[in-house]
Amino acid sequence: MIARALPASQDRPPGLGAYAAGPPVLAPAAAPAAPAEGEAPRDIDELCQAFAGVCESAVDPLEIASALEFDGLNDQAARTRYGVCDVFVLAEEMYRRVPRRPPEPEPAPDPWQVSKTGPALHGLLYGLPAICFPAATGLLTGHAALSVLVVALPASWAVSQGLAYLGYARLGRADRAQAALLLLAGMTAGVAAVALVLAVAAVAVRADPSAFFFGLGVAAYMLGATVLLVLAAERLLLIVLAPGVLGSAAFLALGRPAHLDHAAWAALAATPLLALGLAAARAGREAGLPRRRGGHAQPGLGARRLLTGAELRSALPSAGFGLVAAGLLVFPVAIGLPGPHGARTGTVIASLPLALSMGAAEWLLFWFRRRTQGLLRATRELRAFAFRARLTLLGALLQYLAAAALLTAAALAAATEARLIHPHWTDLPQSAAYLALGGAMFLALLLQAFGSRTFPLIACTVALGFEVAWRGLGAGGQLVACTELLVVLAGYAALVLGRATWHAC
Amino acid sequence: MMTEGTYPCGFGGVSVWCDQLIRGMPGYDFHLVAIVATEAEQVVWTLPGNVTSVERVLLWGAPPPGPAAGRRPGLPLRLLRQLIDVLLDSPWRAQPLFADTLRELFDYAQHGNLSTGLASEKAVRLLSDAWRARWQDPVQPAPTLHDAVTALQLLDHSLRPLSHRPVPADVGHAVTNGLGVLPALAAKWQHGVPMLVTEHGVYLREQYLQHRKGPYRWPVKAFHLGFMRRLCALGYSEAETITPGNVYNRRWEERLGAAPRRIRTVYNGVDPANFPALDGEPEAPTISWVGRVDPIKDLETLLRAFALVSRELPGARLRLFGVPPKGRESYLQRCRALAADLGITAVATFEGRVENIRDAYDAGSIFVLSSVSEGFPYSLIEAMTCGRTCVATDVGGVTEAVGDTGLVVPPRSPARMAEACLTLLRDDGLRHRLGAAARARALENFTVDSAISTFDEIYSFLGSGRPLLIPAPPADEQPGDLLPGSAAG
Repeated sequence: MIARALPASQDRPPGLGAYAAGPPVLAPAAAPAAPAEGEAPRDIDELCQAFAGVCESAVDPLEIASALEFDGLNDQAARTRYGVCDVFVLAEEMYRRVPRRPPEPEPAPDPWQVSKTGPALHGLLYGLPAICFPAATGLLTGHAALSVLVVALPASWAVSQGLAYLGYARLGRADRAQAALLLLAGMTAGVAAVALVLAVAAVAVRADPSAFFFGLGVAAYMLGATVLLVLAAERLLLIVLAPGVLGSAAFLALGRPAHLDHAAWAALAATPLLALGLAAARAGREAGLPRRRGGHAQPGLGARRLLTGAELRSALPSAGFGLVAAGLLVFPVAIGLPGPHGARTGTVIASLPLALSMGAAEWLLFWFRRRTQGLLRATRELRAFAFRARLTLLGALLQYLAAAALLTAAALAAATEARLIHPHWTDLPQSAAYLALGGAMFLALLLQAFGSRTFPLIACTVALGFEVAWRGLGAGGQLVACTELLVVLAGYAALVLGRATWHAC
Repeated sequence: MMTEGTYPCGFGGVSVWCDQLIRGMPGYDFHLVAIVATEAEQVVWTLPGNVTSVERVLLWGAPPPGPAAGRRPGLPLRLLRQLIDVLLDSPWRAQPLFADTLRELFDYAQHGNLSTGLASEKAVRLLSDAWRARWQDPVQPAPTLHDAVTALQLLDHSLRPLSHRPVPADVGHAVTNGLGVLPALAAKWQHGVPMLVTEHGVYLREQYLQHRKGPYRWPVKAFHLGFMRRLCALGYSEAETITPGNVYNRRWEERLGAAPRRIRTVYNGVDPANFPALDGEPEAPTISWVGRVDPIKDLETLLRAFALVSRELPGARLRLFGVPPKGRESYLQRCRALAADLGITAVATFEGRVENIRDAYDAGSIFVLSSVSEGFPYSLIEAMTCGRTCVATDVGGVTEAVGDTGLVVPPRSPARMAEACLTLLRDDGLRHRLGAAARARALENFTVDSAISTFDEIYSFLGSGRPLLIPAPPADEQPGDLLPGSAAG
């Protein structure tokens, strides 16, 4: 029976079977909506039409052969239907008949697309805490308090920059739960470390406990905010800022009345506490930690190699940059530059417009990357690319400087109006110095985004060294140091960002 | 043993195969070189005791650390230019030089940093100049700098395995062609280790299909596929022995220059203890299917075929076991909608995941495979081992598996499939005879033990440096004829 139904014959496909069976049992037309077998292309031209997309974009005949086989066409069908000996020969014939006309691929989603509100919100988030400082300065007394603050800012910047680097690196590996766990552990450890440093500093300069707590609050806010920003929870950060910012604003508006001191402290304290609490809750949730009563779970302990030594080392340039950048920002303020007229003009610029301008910097960073990606896709020659990329860099820098200058002017006008400061033309060099520092920070940010972290760190360290060495020269020294930094970073950025390989991503 | 994206860091058919093989050969020690995409792919299998070490080769991590930056010699400009020329020139002319170039790259990568060389402005300039010199066709999209940078990046990541130090062994067994043979080639060049290449699918064909979905512009696609094509051809020509998982695939291997006498087909096998003969059949005439619910399985043809069967045999049932892969559930929806359109929802049921796969074979009077593309499907030989008669589409190694113990129909042909199903469902005697023949055929040819003993033989031949005697294939290339069992029907 089998031998009769399934005769072994050379001109039949191996496996025999239904190819061999007699007259069709069923009329194909009876199948509802079934594609009739007659629809299979009858000759090679029809087949070419059916596979036009494949043939037009094929890099060689083997690609067509792959597509034909994937579609179920085999050597047997090539022989019986198209009269060629196998799929490869059929594919070669199709490759010959259809000219290459590959379509452009779908444009990939632009990773540098940025909403207009995102960077503005970030700028606001960086700038808003500035309002807390004038409110607090009335509460903090003595030079010792300032010293503690001068330690607190660079220390917390360093830790937060390092932590942000580690967090983003982990997120880049699509390991969100591990990233959240790392951020939570890093935040806890970071606050503890800064607290230790601050305690030592406070004891050394015999500062008031209030100064210690204010410094600790700054660190807690910075680290909590870092965790929330890395986890893209900007809205929670707005909630965090609300009590401190609104409280400080009200306190300042009322003319810092003494009977509201406690209320002001409470409002100021609420922000860092909220920052830590919400950051811990958010990170804990994303890390999938079981909730515990009391909430202070100790993550990281017992977790499988939460952080390797190599990872920690890789975060050092970022942490170092945070330290030095904060140093560049607060050192001139700390030593009270430039003189009796505008001692606080610098403070205002350093704290508010520069922070706000980082929003503009962020937007321009995306703008620059979008532009250069477009250039890379539109250019065929390295020299032409280098020239255009450098021009784009200059455009980005000029736009940043214009935005920062505008913000500075606006902030100074507002502060003068509020009688917080009394600017004088002698403040000009320091204003210019801060503007140059802003430009340098923008370039450093840009270079870091391209993976260059060592050069900006060294350049900023040298500039800070100059500022310290030239502290006797007043604002002039700061201006020279910052301008030099801007020029050096701009030169380096122009050099490396003109290279096509740097824009690979 | 060299793998890519499979054992011991991933799951799937090839990983199961590797695990079976290693466990089945306790007399051999295995050093595993697993090529994986990123650090995230860790070892997920419990390794047998005869695996002495595992080395993971990361394609997308940071480049492997080399000597201190200042002491590294730069990638010679000549070699870079030669590499680019060899990849852009016509494959027939370039193939011999490709082998030399790759070997020189390997020698360089052992003490220099290949990634730095390929990511340099110099390399981008060479590639874009070479493209400009060759690009005469105004119709085709001209390559941009972005294409050059992207193409070199792909090449850099593809060549990462060359930077790892090869391990001396008696045999280098690459369980895939393509990137998986790079460590095997390195071991051959460095230590003279003989090379064995096993392919379950056809690596190069999968690369072509992958790039059809891929995001790259034509010049990048052509460049990368050009590299893969030359690499696969080199893998075939440098291997002492090639063991495809079915005879159909050897067409590709020979097409790319593999010597026929070095090719020996070794079929996948199942453990007969897991698939004893089934007693009895379901009461209603039932067709069962099991697999991943995916367009490649062409369930639409099966549903249409069953609609025809159902008209002739109103009591017939179709039971489909399996779930769609994550994130691609839309195909299941489409199939359900088609079943509704055909008016067969009452008799054709989607059963979802099945705990014991044997239950899926038990559920049907016959087993049907409707795929448009297959290598050597496990489900088919499992059903055969259980003694179920199969109707299967003529793709990949299916005809070799079924032989004359079932019915093979052209793919995408509901009428032919329906006709075959009806023949078997109506004729109890034929169905039972073929079922018994299928089991006998599977037990003789497609068991784990027979696969393992074949590899045992190949290993000992290669390890002893003796030439492996592969019986010359018959002049007639009919795949089924290579099987000892196929003449027995």
